[in-house]
Amino acid sequence: MKDELAISLRNDLWQRKLPELNGFSAMPGGHYRTDATAWAVMALSVAGATQDSLRSSRHHLAMSQMENGAVSLSPDHPDAIWPTSLAILSWKDSHEFINFLDMATGFLLKTTGQHFTRMPGIPTGHDPALKGWPWISDTYSWVEPTALAVIALRVSGYEKHERTQEAVIMLMDRQLSRGGWNYGNTTVFGKELNPMPETTGMALSALAGLVPESQVERSLNYLNNYIDHAKTPMSLGWGFLGLGSYGRRSGAAENKLPECLNRQGKYGLYDTAALSLVILALCADKGLVDFYKESHGIS
Amino acid sequence: MEFPKLTRRDFLIRTALGSLAAWHGMSWLGCSKPLPITETFIAKIRDYSSEIGSTILSGFKELKISKPEIQGKRILLKPNLVESHTGAVHVTTHPMVIRGAIEAFLRMGADRVIVGEGSGHCRDTLRVIEETGLVDVLSEERSSFIDLNQDDLYTVVNSSKSSRLKTLTLPITLRQTDWIVSMPKMKTHHWVGITLSMKNLFGVMPGIVYGWPKNVLHCAGIDGCIVDINVAVKPHLAIVDGIVGMQGDGPIMGTPKYAGLLVMGRNLPAVDGTCVRVMGYDPKNLSYLRDASRKIGPIIENRIIQRGETIKSVTTKFELEKNIPAHKKLLG
Repeated sequence: MKDELAISLRNDLWQRKLPELNGFSAMPGGHYRTDATAWAVMALSVAGATQDSLRSSRHHLAMSQMENGAVSLSPDHPDAIWPTSLAILSWKDSHEFINFLDMATGFLLKTTGQHFTRMPGIPTGHDPALKGWPWISDTYSWVEPTALAVIALRVSGYEKHERTQEAVIMLMDRQLSRGGWNYGNTTVFGKELNPMPETTGMALSALAGLVPESQVERSLNYLNNYIDHAKTPMSLGWGFLGLGSYGRRSGAAENKLPECLNRQGKYGLYDTAALSLVILALCADKGLVDFYKESHGIS
Repeated sequence: MEFPKLTRRDFLIRTALGSLAAWHGMSWLGCSKPLPITETFIAKIRDYSSEIGSTILSGFKELKISKPEIQGKRILLKPNLVESHTGAVHVTTHPMVIRGAIEAFLRMGADRVIVGEGSGHCRDTLRVIEETGLVDVLSEERSSFIDLNQDDLYTVVNSSKSSRLKTLTLPITLRQTDWIVSMPKMKTHHWVGITLSMKNLFGVMPGIVYGWPKNVLHCAGIDGCIVDINVAVKPHLAIVDGIVGMQGDGPIMGTPKYAGLLVMGRNLPAVDGTCVRVMGYDPKNLSYLRDASRKIGPIIENRIIQRGETIKSVTTKFELEKNIPAHKKLLG
């Protein structure tokens, strides 16, 4: 059933391809987007599409790469660098794009958010000196772009690089004391903020195998409790990927992911990233890092 | 800026206020021209099971929003859905207020009413509409939701220049609708003091360009960006959910504050100024409202004609936090 569903979703995704641009939009009828294209390529590849069939989309992404190695949202928004990690993952399955991948990892390794030494009296609880990655150039580092960059660097052979190692410390610093992550603030003016399942799944996916499980146990518990009543593709997708990274994924995924797809009647059509995430969650039982490492023989 | 038709009563009030008040309004801001006069409407509403749609229709009447203005128009409702907590009524705009607005606009002959938000904290916007219960309202009202964080984009020059941003990138849905209605929650806010209909428009700024949180706007100065966005977006109406608001450490971690109110108006600084007074504070102590009053509309009391309830009759003090600098400023 899982394979049938993945194939069905793969067909749904193919139908969204923009013929003239060889890429994907966020929503059917929308404009080309690098992030949507990267997500779709990842999902199609995982769901068994031939490498040849993905070549033109990967090539289009490569043509979007800037001289510094970043892949931005669009040429109009060169500061929106967050799709770079997604582009790395989308090129990962093809040797033909190794040079583009190297340039993109090179960009990540030399890029950080804005960071500063913690001063007494600052209202936020986390350590602002720890380097991660921002969504947008010259802004602060946040959980999702950092988690995605760690995943991209790990599957590209940079697991032991000092930037990856510091980002792991940064992510651990942003973990909430009662478990889970949100977009990236722990406490503000002395009050702890609330966790979110999607960012918790991302952070857990990035950290799996790099920190002792006991140090993220409270977050695994939070996610495990949440996933039972999760309904939406992003929360379920990242939730199952995060739990799967620690071998904690229950059989519920087999039912909850198809149910989630049926909810499009209520929510409206899912965007390309959400649909792709469901495919990845269906196929990558052990999480994203293990999936990419195993398929590429990286230890 | 809309200049309302004055009734005899309004005319007499204005005359009585005389040139002294007009001079006062101009000199405080250092303006060379008189400030416009606008109207806001305050209604008492007992709870979320009340007839909110009828109240909004009454507000339309008081604000002289006529059927020809709405008929055949595409309406975008922009609630505050910053993040969700199941069962917490004080964090996000309540779905029953959104339902009331949908019903009211449809009764006025709107072609369609859609709801849009680009959540500032949550990447999973569908989770927010699910957990707040909004998805059920949308389904029952046959209205649709658009995630403004993921929309196609257009870019405009930042003509207001209150922040250092040179341009503003906006979701294409704003261009595809005729009326943009800001529907905030009445809340305190730990960075800007109080968040209402103007700050609520941070939620139209797409996360794919501004991040989660919308950190580009923080780095460029929140107060300035609030004004710039409002000048660029030119919203048509505000409907503030002040039935249960939030006090203390808003916009997320504060506590519920019952005010039992809906506040409406065409001019957002005037609506927000009125709400701040209702919450027990002086709008002149909010930096973005002072700036907005020079560019968009009035916040001083003698330039706002109050319809419905008087401010005095509904004022309810929202608590602030002593350790929050923005709250200290609010105390003057």
